Amino acid sequence: MQKNILKSDSNKVLVVGGGIGGIRCALDLAEAGRDVILIDKAFSIGGLMTQLDRTFPTNNCDLCTLSSQLSESSRQLHIELLTMTQLVNVRGEAGNFDIHLVQAPRYIDLDQCTACGNCYEKFPEFVRFSPGLDHRAPTCMRYPQATPYAYSIDMDQCSDMDGLVQTCPAGAIIPEDSKKEIDMNVGAIVVALGAEVFDPKGLDHYIYDSSPDVVTSLEYERILSASGPTGGELVRPSDGKPPQKIAWIQCVGSRGLQKGASPYCSGACCMFALKEAMVTREYFQETIETTIFYMDMRTCGKDYELYYQRARNEFGIHFVHSRPHSIVSDKNSGELVITYTPYDSSVFQKESFDMVILSTGFFMAEDTADFARILGIELNEHRFAQTDNFNPVVTSREGIYVCGLFESPKDIPETMVQASAAASMASRNLVPIEENTDNTKEYPPEWDVSHEEPKVGVFICNCGNNIGGVIDVNQLVDFSKTLSNVVWAEMAGHGCSRESLGRIKELIMTKKINRVVIGGCSPRTHEAKFQDTLREAGLNKYLFEMANIRDQDTWDHLDQPEMAAKKARDLIKMAVTGVIHSRPLTDHILPINRDVLVVGGGVTGMTAALNLADQGFKVYLVEKNPQLGGMAKDIRKSIEGENVQSYMTELIKKTLNHDRIQVMTGTIIVDHSGMPGLFKTGMQVGKQMFYRQINHGVTIIATGALMNRPGEYLLDEHEAVMTQLDMDALIEDQPDKIKAYKNVVMIQCVDSRSDNNPNCSRVCCQAAVKNALRILDLNPDTRIIILYRDMRTYGFYEDYYRMARQRGVIFENYKKDNPPKVNSAGDKQVEVTFRDRVLGRDISVPADSLCLSTGFISDDEGSEDLAMVFHLQRTSDGYFLEDHIKLRPVDLPIPGFFVAGTAHAPKTIRESIAQAHAAAARARTLLNSDKINLGASVARVDSAKCAACLICVRACPFGIPFINADGYSEIDPSKCHGCGVCASECPARAIQLMQFEDDQIIAKLNGLLERKVA
Amino acid sequence: MITAERKPMEELTEYVKNHDRILLVGCNECVTVCAAGGRKEVALLASALQMDAMQKGKTLDITEITLERQCDPEYIEELTPHIDQVDAVMSMACGCGVQEIARRFKNTPVFPAVNTKFMGASERQGVWAERCQGCGSCLLGLTGGICPIARCAKRLLNGPCGGSSNGKCEINPDLDCAWQLIWDRLKALGMEKQYEEIIPAKNWVSGRGGGPRKIIREDLAE
Amino acid sequence: MENFEPVIVAFCCHYCAYTAADMAGSKRLSYPPNVKIVRVPCSGKVDAIHIMKAFEKGADGVYVAGCLEGDCHFKNGNMKVSRRVNYIKKLLDEIGINGDRLEMVMMSAGMGDYFAKKATEITDKIRSLGPNPTKTVLGFAQK
Repeated sequence: MQKNILKSDSNKVLVVGGGIGGIRCALDLAEAGRDVILIDKAFSIGGLMTQLDRTFPTNNCDLCTLSSQLSESSRQLHIELLTMTQLVNVRGEAGNFDIHLVQAPRYIDLDQCTACGNCYEKFPEFVRFSPGLDHRAPTCMRYPQATPYAYSIDMDQCSDMDGLVQTCPAGAIIPEDSKKEIDMNVGAIVVALGAEVFDPKGLDHYIYDSSPDVVTSLEYERILSASGPTGGELVRPSDGKPPQKIAWIQCVGSRGLQKGASPYCSGACCMFALKEAMVTREYFQETIETTIFYMDMRTCGKDYELYYQRARNEFGIHFVHSRPHSIVSDKNSGELVITYTPYDSSVFQKESFDMVILSTGFFMAEDTADFARILGIELNEHRFAQTDNFNPVVTSREGIYVCGLFESPKDIPETMVQASAAASMASRNLVPIEENTDNTKEYPPEWDVSHEEPKVGVFICNCGNNIGGVIDVNQLVDFSKTLSNVVWAEMAGHGCSRESLGRIKELIMTKKINRVVIGGCSPRTHEAKFQDTLREAGLNKYLFEMANIRDQDTWDHLDQPEMAAKKARDLIKMAVTGVIHSRPLTDHILPINRDVLVVGGGVTGMTAALNLADQGFKVYLVEKNPQLGGMAKDIRKSIEGENVQSYMTELIKKTLNHDRIQVMTGTIIVDHSGMPGLFKTGMQVGKQMFYRQINHGVTIIATGALMNRPGEYLLDEHEAVMTQLDMDALIEDQPDKIKAYKNVVMIQCVDSRSDNNPNCSRVCCQAAVKNALRILDLNPDTRIIILYRDMRTYGFYEDYYRMARQRGVIFENYKKDNPPKVNSAGDKQVEVTFRDRVLGRDISVPADSLCLSTGFISDDEGSEDLAMVFHLQRTSDGYFLEDHIKLRPVDLPIPGFFVAGTAHAPKTIRESIAQAHAAAARARTLLNSDKINLGASVARVDSAKCAACLICVRACPFGIPFINADGYSEIDPSKCHGCGVCASECPARAIQLMQFEDDQIIAKLNGLLERKVA
Repeated sequence: MITAERKPMEELTEYVKNHDRILLVGCNECVTVCAAGGRKEVALLASALQMDAMQKGKTLDITEITLERQCDPEYIEELTPHIDQVDAVMSMACGCGVQEIARRFKNTPVFPAVNTKFMGASERQGVWAERCQGCGSCLLGLTGGICPIARCAKRLLNGPCGGSSNGKCEINPDLDCAWQLIWDRLKALGMEKQYEEIIPAKNWVSGRGGGPRKIIREDLAE
Repeated sequence: MENFEPVIVAFCCHYCAYTAADMAGSKRLSYPPNVKIVRVPCSGKVDAIHIMKAFEKGADGVYVAGCLEGDCHFKNGNMKVSRRVNYIKKLLDEIGINGDRLEMVMMSAGMGDYFAKKATEITDKIRSLGPNPTKTVLGFAQK
């Protein structure tokens, strides 16, 4: 289903769904210079992720990481956000879709609403302000960064429209607002629908309906959350007491066992439960007993196995391999009694708990079918999108792509990968951007303030009574006038309104104001807006300070207006004394080279290279082996039945023949320098090892992993013993040999999840099932025994696992401390001995073939060398470490570097292809402009003071400072992240962080405190 | 480098209790590198002395200055313009710096702000460990590059002693036994034979045994 | 010291604590107005000298507020400053300014309630510790 690039009439992409996947996709498109319409049926974007407390495996608060993405998205010039909007019709074809949208009325003018909250305060029943959650639920106002930053009116609830309209100081409420019908033309559509979470109501054996202490994992997430209904206290819903014993029951609504449940695996719940159990013990009380009842622990994501082992060994979480029969509430004690049969027993057991969490899975709502009809795309049997067997974001209709949960159940990093991949695919249906149109605004030249006395202008917002309703703004203005260096002070009403900004600009120019202080709201939300006004007036935008007298004063001290007024004076004075020390700064803007270096010529590297070359970029594809193809060229068939060989042959041919791809095989990278947009990489090419240096703007690492081949279980010693990969080839090459097999035994996790190679290799469970099914296709009478530790057939692979069981494959569990034993039994057979759980004793099977699932190991040597040359981080087992394991799975921590495929972590070909497209999309965002703005807040070293002590070199979280040839520390402004840690640790006070210099900070303290000292 | 540590504040405030105008002098060499007496520490100490004085009902006039090096008279000369405006000098350099200031300015009292500790190396950020005692006749060529005088608690020339257990020293179980390190290294270098050689008793005349020392480079000395 | 209103400086990191303070505002949570925030990009930017100068100028209490452990936008600035705060507490103790006047707190951007709670707790504590002794003695001496 690979598409050709189409001539497009429209240069826009429609993204349906404003969850984390839709946002990522929209951002990638916008940053690549594409126009995006992002629609969501909710009032604000954010989706499911905004309801989570923390995310695995870092147990980070995701709000901190998500919020920046949300506001980033609203800032993007190229994104038009339509909330409360649904897609109702699609006509046309890829490159030229006519779409019809319907937007429900918000009754609030988004351009006018300042989110002051007056309406919500007066009429809480009429007003909605939350990311898709009802504000009246205890989860309202989950975070202050809702996007759009505005309220919405619930017209059904509103009984006093006049009162409501009058309460709005900005005049933003429009009672006559009505439904809007919107027609537009787009070139491609990305569907980022989320999924629903299984509702356990009606599962009477788990008494979710009757016991308040049986909750779903998402509800438990809210209980743990600091901003949740219990204010971050972990208490039982029934009586408000802290629970002492908590159980999790896995696969509720997944893997097809309960009423209304889905047959597939929901993919994310095992990690979800582990995280909740760990957070419970880590952040609440270590004494809380936590038990997880599971079928298979499916921790097959990157480093997830280590997380699981930590939960087991360090956090003392109990694991019970069993699906519980029922929960009964004890009439006397109120305790929840779980009845279950352990996996290796046939006797019922009972255990009591205070709380039970049901790990509920994902499903697609029934109306998805209607939506699919609107889109004209096919769904699979589970109502998820039917997608291409090699590219998971490609649907059955050209020009329509999917990402995230709508493709299959998954967790956040995979969603992020697919979101970027979908952006990349959609972009290819649009007209290539000829020359980048320069959207940057024209500003007048900045005047030189270096020889001027500081002349401060102070503008204080009334903010529709948000400030003026608590303190006397005029008095504050008068106070400001008394401060030294202040030449102008006045009230600014709504300072951020167009009229006020115009007046501020005017005053800067006429009064020759060269320092500006705004007393108003938070710089987090409004700094950029005011800075823009400074620039329009010809003033450097860093000669500016905001005193946050609203969010951090009048809103907090409503009940103590006098103290609030005093605090406002202090804040204004601090801002004035601080701004006097501000200096004009220059953003670091550099021109860039837009060529691409792709390291690794396997399926991932070739896919990424073709993607970018097709979009017009010159690509250097470097492979250390003599031929392209990597690991995938040795694989014959995928589980979906696709011929991998012919796919690879075609891919190699396309790559070699592409006139914008230069392939360099037998090439080793030896040196590297520069910064994003200006990299230089040296390499030794071919047999003669010619040295060659290329210039490039971005680097994609796709060096892959290695097929593991450990010397275990007589592998390479006995003819009957082989790897799954050997079997894959044998099935194709010598079917007659296979047909003659009576007994085939497979052993999973051979040197994976081991002490030597602690992570899960992810692909082997489905590979074993694939080979088992193919053997049965050849000879249905072959007896196949698969010895496994946990069957990890995540997502829709569960269907194949179920099919294998139905067709008679025997699955037998073994534990890590009691692995199967293998002995030679003549030339043709081996004898495999393992523990039978039902008989409780060892049994031996003669096997005609023993297939070992040996999985992957990282290319430790290769990745170590590359990590050295490129200064990249690796995980403890030798895979490249991305910038953020959750939200930035493709970006490496060094700007301008991206990773894809098995160099990142073990994964299937299909997943590698998706990540290759994602890497191309992320790289594309850097290549859109021919220059790069790195901001001004960077550390600067005074070489005269530097003692070359190395403290900054060691302290920098990003390893940027180094001691240069002149013998002092040098910090590359294009790499500095601007945290200032080096400045605060420098023993010679030789480093200053621009925008936050010592003298500015101390001046602020002086402003606050000077009258306190005699 | 020469390592040092700030003295307890009690000792420092006692030095300056009768002085109001203080010249606080840092050094941009070793003591900056070991975070004991560079510009940062000078500023911190100035602030701390000031706050202590304020509690005693007075304010100090503290001049902060950090020299490139306090152990060279030319750099010390940079203090001359300040010296008449102060009652006392407090130096954050090692003992060499304190003495150089005292040598130059005969009429102004000079106080040390740090305790000079040892010649050492940075083991990692914020951790410095003793490596050399300046014995005047280096043995490192015989001991695999690990000094038994600086790093063996007993300064044994032919160790280890009976107190070495599991590679650690009996004086302090956190400390590696220097002789274990020497043995491991010699073995790794294939120089086990070297270990068999008895190192004769050391002539400490080259060290402090011969009294204060001096180096004269005849070609350079005038 | 009946009408003692302490002055407290809170150095707040942009990504978590400062955002939490904004959130306390948008939720209209009340806390003592004695707390004045200085915004820094990362709590790890807070220099020992900034803390000492705040006390020298007369602050009665100082706290540094960063992200939760493991959440630092700049990887580990919060942990670095946390050690620095402990070091300065000892120095303050040495010069007779109770090290308890200085504190490190950690919070996520969503923890507006916690911001208000900590601001209240710290203000109460400083109130009970009384004014910065450099102010009282000096003020006394000048009378």
